[in-house]
Amino acid sequence: MTIIKRSLAALLLLLVLPAMAQAELISGKSFGDENEIIVSFSAAVNPAAAADPANYIVYEEPDPDIRLNLEKVLVSEDARSATLVFTEPLNTTQTHIVSVRDIGPTVESFKVSKSYIGYLLSILIGALLINNFVFTKYLGLCVFFGTSKRKDTAKGMGLTFTFVIVVSAIMSWFFYQFVMKPFHLDFLQIVVFIGLVSLTVQAVDTILRKVNPILFNAFGVYLVLVIANCIIIAVPLILADYEYNFFESLMLSLGAGGGFLLALYLMSSVRERMEFANIPPTFKGIPIAFVVAGQFALAFLGFSGLSLF
Amino acid sequence: MKDILTIVFRLTVTCLVAGVIMGGGFVLTNKAKQDNEHKNEQRVMLSLLGYSKSNPAPQAMALHEIYRYVVSEGENLSVAYLLPANNGFTFVNIGLDGRFLSRHPVAISEEQVLKGGDRDTAIIAALGPGKSIRFADQTIVVTNGGKRQAYLLPGEFTGFKTFIKVILAVDQDFAVMGLEIMEHEEDPGLGGEIVQDYFKGQFTGKDFATIKKIKVAKLPLPDEYQQALEADKNGLNEAEVARIRALYSDKDIYALTGATISSRSVTNGVKGIVKKFAYRMSVLDRVLDKQQIAVPF
Amino acid sequence: MATDKSNFQLVISGILNENPIFRLVLSMCPAVGISTTVMNGFLLGIAVLFVQVFSSVTISLIKDLIHPRIRIPTYTLTIATWVTIIDMVLAAYLPEAYAKMGIFVKLIVAFAIITMRLEMFACKESVTASFWDGLGMGFGFLFGMMALGFVRELLGLGTLLGYDVLGFKPLLFFVLPFAGFFVVGLMMAFFNYIEIVYKRAREKRVEI
Repeated sequence: MTIIKRSLAALLLLLVLPAMAQAELISGKSFGDENEIIVSFSAAVNPAAAADPANYIVYEEPDPDIRLNLEKVLVSEDARSATLVFTEPLNTTQTHIVSVRDIGPTVESFKVSKSYIGYLLSILIGALLINNFVFTKYLGLCVFFGTSKRKDTAKGMGLTFTFVIVVSAIMSWFFYQFVMKPFHLDFLQIVVFIGLVSLTVQAVDTILRKVNPILFNAFGVYLVLVIANCIIIAVPLILADYEYNFFESLMLSLGAGGGFLLALYLMSSVRERMEFANIPPTFKGIPIAFVVAGQFALAFLGFSGLSLF
Repeated sequence: MKDILTIVFRLTVTCLVAGVIMGGGFVLTNKAKQDNEHKNEQRVMLSLLGYSKSNPAPQAMALHEIYRYVVSEGENLSVAYLLPANNGFTFVNIGLDGRFLSRHPVAISEEQVLKGGDRDTAIIAALGPGKSIRFADQTIVVTNGGKRQAYLLPGEFTGFKTFIKVILAVDQDFAVMGLEIMEHEEDPGLGGEIVQDYFKGQFTGKDFATIKKIKVAKLPLPDEYQQALEADKNGLNEAEVARIRALYSDKDIYALTGATISSRSVTNGVKGIVKKFAYRMSVLDRVLDKQQIAVPF
Repeated sequence: MATDKSNFQLVISGILNENPIFRLVLSMCPAVGISTTVMNGFLLGIAVLFVQVFSSVTISLIKDLIHPRIRIPTYTLTIATWVTIIDMVLAAYLPEAYAKMGIFVKLIVAFAIITMRLEMFACKESVTASFWDGLGMGFGFLFGMMALGFVRELLGLGTLLGYDVLGFKPLLFFVLPFAGFFVVGLMMAFFNYIEIVYKRAREKRVEI
């Protein structure tokens, strides 16, 4: 049940995020520098009360009994915002709970965390670049080397794959959360996920054939190859491992598909150029493709440690 | 039509057979899996305390598990500990400011307490309605002849890639006795080196004052220190190892080459675990003392 | 149709002419991802060997009962069943090795090599021939993985199976994850080179 609640909460958050200003006293809050939280008030407050560290209680959500040490509070000139300076750097990946007393009429508690949208985007960027499934997780290589000879093929394969992976990952997620977890059928993961993938591919195949023969002619070829790609089965397994919620799962599967498309496109661009290069006969074909992929993997290492949000 | 029926029938039979085979496999291997995990944990814990086959643990040694929960009643939060008392288990509820709130005897057996689900239901039954609980973490207090000797702290934190799970051993003054990495997914050759003695051994012997302020130094690991940390490999004598270790006991952690983020994650993770635990243990001890709650540790 | 090769030939061809890694270029993910040491290569190779042999034998046993239109789902189900079994056995009895292999054991289910052998061989041949063919393919994979592991471990860490052989670390580069691509590419080129030299030598002999 909590899953549904969390997903709904996330959905609401997405819808009403702009309108979600704190009522009454607190109009905004965010992390500042590595040891700062910045709070803004809806009206000017008593500067003396706002500058007293004793009026604030701050802790990380999982550890309510451990209060963080406030060094000082800096109140702005117009007394409409305060900067809480802590003695130690904050762990901004955690949600922080701040409660304020003596500044407004009642004790106000509010959460400070990085924005949820930012977190979702970081999952997407992470799967796309930082942990690109092809170049840093080394999955889906057979299909990757097989279909990256020409740009058109690469695009077709990448798009087909992205579509199938999003659909099948979401189905797998529902199945895992609402059927397998409640009934403790975790050990059937592999069979169920591969079954759902095959089902998705078959369904897409049938629907396309009936609805849009032109599209089917363009993408039908790749549908068979999708099943032979380990990424398609790795993503549901990772989702089950990390206990992601619906939106997080959607982002990860989008990132995985997009990452595969990106890798294919980059690789096919190089391989088209390589056809005109003078390659030693021992390296012709697959061996040189591997060396190029290795160089891409090296380049993608540069993304590691990247944090945007 | 007949074709479809045969296909459906055959697929169903195949699925059933496959299901039976897999279910059988699960039933046969699940118990062994849990046993092995348990044995492995026990082995790691003993080795962290400095015991091994050649140096077995004394008879008088005992391990006591403490489970920490966060209790919420509407908006109000408190922290509670499930402790082994002299007659069964007791659940001690402590406010966020460290004041004693209440204690409840919990009816649960020694075997059941190891299983999360059974434990939660027993605590809920003891607490009465209107309160919900969330399991936070567990700690193992090691006693020797009734005297406290060490604490074992399982914990996890984010590494460079995913979570790193560790078990940390600290003595009664919160000086680190040893660190063991249980699970990680760092890169082999880079962050994966956190499992090597020359990295994780650097934490051993650092006292609480050092750990509280510890940072990562991006300097090459001095040769003599590396030899002392890998004494098992190159057979330095114990006196020499102790001498070298003493030289570095108040220094920061030397980062792994090419894996500063992993090094920093582990260092900050260990620092956080020890600091939080030291604070909580002092609060709990004060409460146990004031309330005259008799515990076997 | 029955195969005209003897059992021994089936195994040898799986290891050499039809080596799944170096010749058929299938199942590249583990070959790049976890071939960092001989031991890792060996463990995953054994897992694949078991899945391949069990699946080949199973399909060969029930080949007359499989409706032609549901061939592929049946293969998938068979492979998934055996992968699940292997996965559970490894997790239960070899937890340390299992932790090293991570997600790759579960991913055996998507290895094209196994499905391909079932389609090409096991659904047409007798049980014994399928058994030997599966064994050959499995050993071919095992051999490929161990060869890669051997090169990477020796050149990267200076050890073999964890024992220090060289006493120093020549090039850490080789055990870093991305080096898998380079090592596979270079080894393939090396095998191609041997093949070319061998062909030339034969042509010369023919001329004489």
